[in-house]
Amino acid sequence: MKRNLLTALPLVLALALPAAAQDSYPDRSVRIVHGFGAGGNADTVSRILAEAMTEGLGQPVVVESRPGAGGTVASGYVANADADGYTLQLMVGGHTVAAGLYNSLPYDSLNDFTFLSIIGQFPFFIAARAGEYDSLEAVIAAATADPGSIRIGHSGVGSTQHLTGELLDLMTDADFLHVPYAGGAAAATAVMGGEVDILIDTGTAIFGQAAAGVFDVLAVTAAERWPDNPDVPTVSETVAPGFNVVSWTGLGAPDGLPDNVVEVLTAEIARVMALDDVRGRIAALGASPVGSSSAEFQELVETQIKTWTEVIETAGVERR
Amino acid sequence: MLEQFLLGLGVVMQPEVLVYAFAGVFIGQVIGVLPGIGAITAISLLLPVTFHLDATTSIIMLAGIYYGSQYGGSIASILLNLPGTPSSVVTCLEGYPLARSGRAGMALFTAALSSFLGGMIGVAIVVLAAIPMTTIALKFGAPEYTMLVVLGLMAASMVGTGSHLRALAMVLVGVALGLVGADATTGYYRYVAMPELADGISLVSLAMGLFGVSEVIRNAAARAQSKVQPQIRMRDIFPSRSEARTLPGPILRGAGIGSFFGALPGTGAAIASFMAYAVEKRFSRVPKRFGTGHLPGLAAPESSNNAAAQTGFIPTLTLGVPGDAVMALMIGALILNGIIPGPRLMVDQPTLFWGVIASFFVGNIILLLINIPLIRLWVLMLRVPYQKLYPVIVIMICVGVYSHRTSVIDVVLTLVFGILGYLMKNYRFEPAPVLLGFVLGPLLEDNFRRAMLIYRGDFTIFVTRPICTVLFTCTVLLIAFSIYSSISQRRRMAAAATDGPASTP
Repeated sequence: MKRNLLTALPLVLALALPAAAQDSYPDRSVRIVHGFGAGGNADTVSRILAEAMTEGLGQPVVVESRPGAGGTVASGYVANADADGYTLQLMVGGHTVAAGLYNSLPYDSLNDFTFLSIIGQFPFFIAARAGEYDSLEAVIAAATADPGSIRIGHSGVGSTQHLTGELLDLMTDADFLHVPYAGGAAAATAVMGGEVDILIDTGTAIFGQAAAGVFDVLAVTAAERWPDNPDVPTVSETVAPGFNVVSWTGLGAPDGLPDNVVEVLTAEIARVMALDDVRGRIAALGASPVGSSSAEFQELVETQIKTWTEVIETAGVERR
Repeated sequence: MLEQFLLGLGVVMQPEVLVYAFAGVFIGQVIGVLPGIGAITAISLLLPVTFHLDATTSIIMLAGIYYGSQYGGSIASILLNLPGTPSSVVTCLEGYPLARSGRAGMALFTAALSSFLGGMIGVAIVVLAAIPMTTIALKFGAPEYTMLVVLGLMAASMVGTGSHLRALAMVLVGVALGLVGADATTGYYRYVAMPELADGISLVSLAMGLFGVSEVIRNAAARAQSKVQPQIRMRDIFPSRSEARTLPGPILRGAGIGSFFGALPGTGAAIASFMAYAVEKRFSRVPKRFGTGHLPGLAAPESSNNAAAQTGFIPTLTLGVPGDAVMALMIGALILNGIIPGPRLMVDQPTLFWGVIASFFVGNIILLLINIPLIRLWVLMLRVPYQKLYPVIVIMICVGVYSHRTSVIDVVLTLVFGILGYLMKNYRFEPAPVLLGFVLGPLLEDNFRRAMLIYRGDFTIFVTRPICTVLFTCTVLLIAFSIYSSISQRRRMAAAATDGPASTP
């Protein structure tokens, strides 16, 4: 029996080799690069994916943080990496903001990347100190009547939260004062202390406060009401028809990825995104775990680059 | 309050939780000793581990890493002039001279004891006054922070040991270095020569360069031979009775200052330690002895940074809003466990809330028990010849700085700052004021411009808002006190000169 197996071995190998050469991806470890600090949202999502994909790909998937300049250091690195499927990037909504915000990026935000799949999507919520405003309409009315009197605290110039506030400014008659803070937590504290009036941030930053009666949640920035919070009206249905801001995380790679690698990766991402454990952990981070086709992801990026570039130009945000 | 604290103690005393509390403070202690590798790196590395733990145990372990690192940070500062964390930079100023004069054991003991007492006072404030402290912290807006930093700069303009003019020049160098990066108000890039500098120069690389690397170069240049320390006996590590009597004041004042700065989001242990040192020096009867191995100057900042590390949890626990990047990681760990942080944490999760606070109490005791016996072992390190020790130190600094932001530029900058620090020392410029300017400068600019934006250029807010009035008055009094003390000192010197010219050679 043993001898039979041994004699058959060369034949089996001969048959298997050509196929292996084509389908050998991945034959070594795969990196997921992201552009933010260890322990942040991007890092956590990367680690959740890496853990799950290690099982499916049969090779270790490791996370590498290359923080700096709003994630553009990492994007520049990935854009110039070999398109062999061993360097992936966990991208965030900020990728599309950066396209409009930076004067000279060392890469093309759209054409230098292969967009594999959206991972999670999450809207922002607009909140005020409890009891101050009944609705978003009341806020807009106050900010229209006395320009500059209503202050929106945001997490930093050029952040998606900041630009969402600017977009609200542009799409209504209101004239807000946009006040930058060093991060969303500092902005939230400023709203609590009464230094500013309005906070635009993710659900995880707002709902803990809302539950304790510190904030009133006035609106959600998505086009449709968010399934987890159906009582919160949209900006679109209240003050600015067509208003739609949804941020996201997604998995991308350098442009020019071989087709077979794209197939392996998209199949693996689809498998992972169907796992309850992965979905649960992404949902815990305040995002809706979606998954998507490569084309849907690409279209989302294209649309958002257009929107943010317009907002940055119209609102007069300083390009860097 | 006591009842809830006992409930928390019950949680921590479960063997399994206790093991993780011990692991946390022990890891903290170790990474605190290692230069450059800070609590933030260790916590983010261990975050995935907490996926498999419950929320209370996770936070107890991660918190232990954070305040444990404050203990470890002082060790390399004292022995090698190498701050393990930015908040132990000030510890170098008195600790290293003590070690060079053969009293390393006593310096380590004083640091450990001051850390313990400061930490415990911080814990007591978290237990007894978390809510009032939160109320005060929320009253601090941009104008208040601006005035606080002005007061801080005034108080700290004496952190150096040399001339005031030189110290002021170095503060300005620090402020200038702090300008690098994106302008917080407009987003405009300032001095961003390469994209890696967009987020500014890293405090870790500045601190490691100016202190650690420059010391290595100095020793190499001097071809220093390490003095073989005599065997340390246990009784050599205790301060004498008269020395011990000078310590309670600095420890208490340090803990008070630390507790205050810790509870304010946006400031923290590093600023607290600078302020505690500055206050001690400013109000000392023997300011000349600072910088030469003066024990009160070691005790105050050590007590201060540990108190700040504990009260730093106040905004995180009571508001669910992280005061700094490390706290943001803790919040992240809570979110991953399905707990949305917020003011209801105390009510909804009492075992978590009080368990974490009780773990601070237990953790500080564990840390004291770890540290005292280790002193003899640490001092032995001084017997390793410099030429064997320093290559290892340089490598550890590089690894530590790199791990902080995974940036090679940071490592290169650390070495550049090392050379700069060496040249500065040769020309008698102090590195500590540079760090102070680097930390406080951007804080001042950021808050001043935000205040101007919100209050539409109205300067009177800096005097008329209640807290501002208090801070402004303190600043004026401090300036008046400085002028008075320098005039009276000059008068005394003049009197001495006229009274006894014969006695002056």
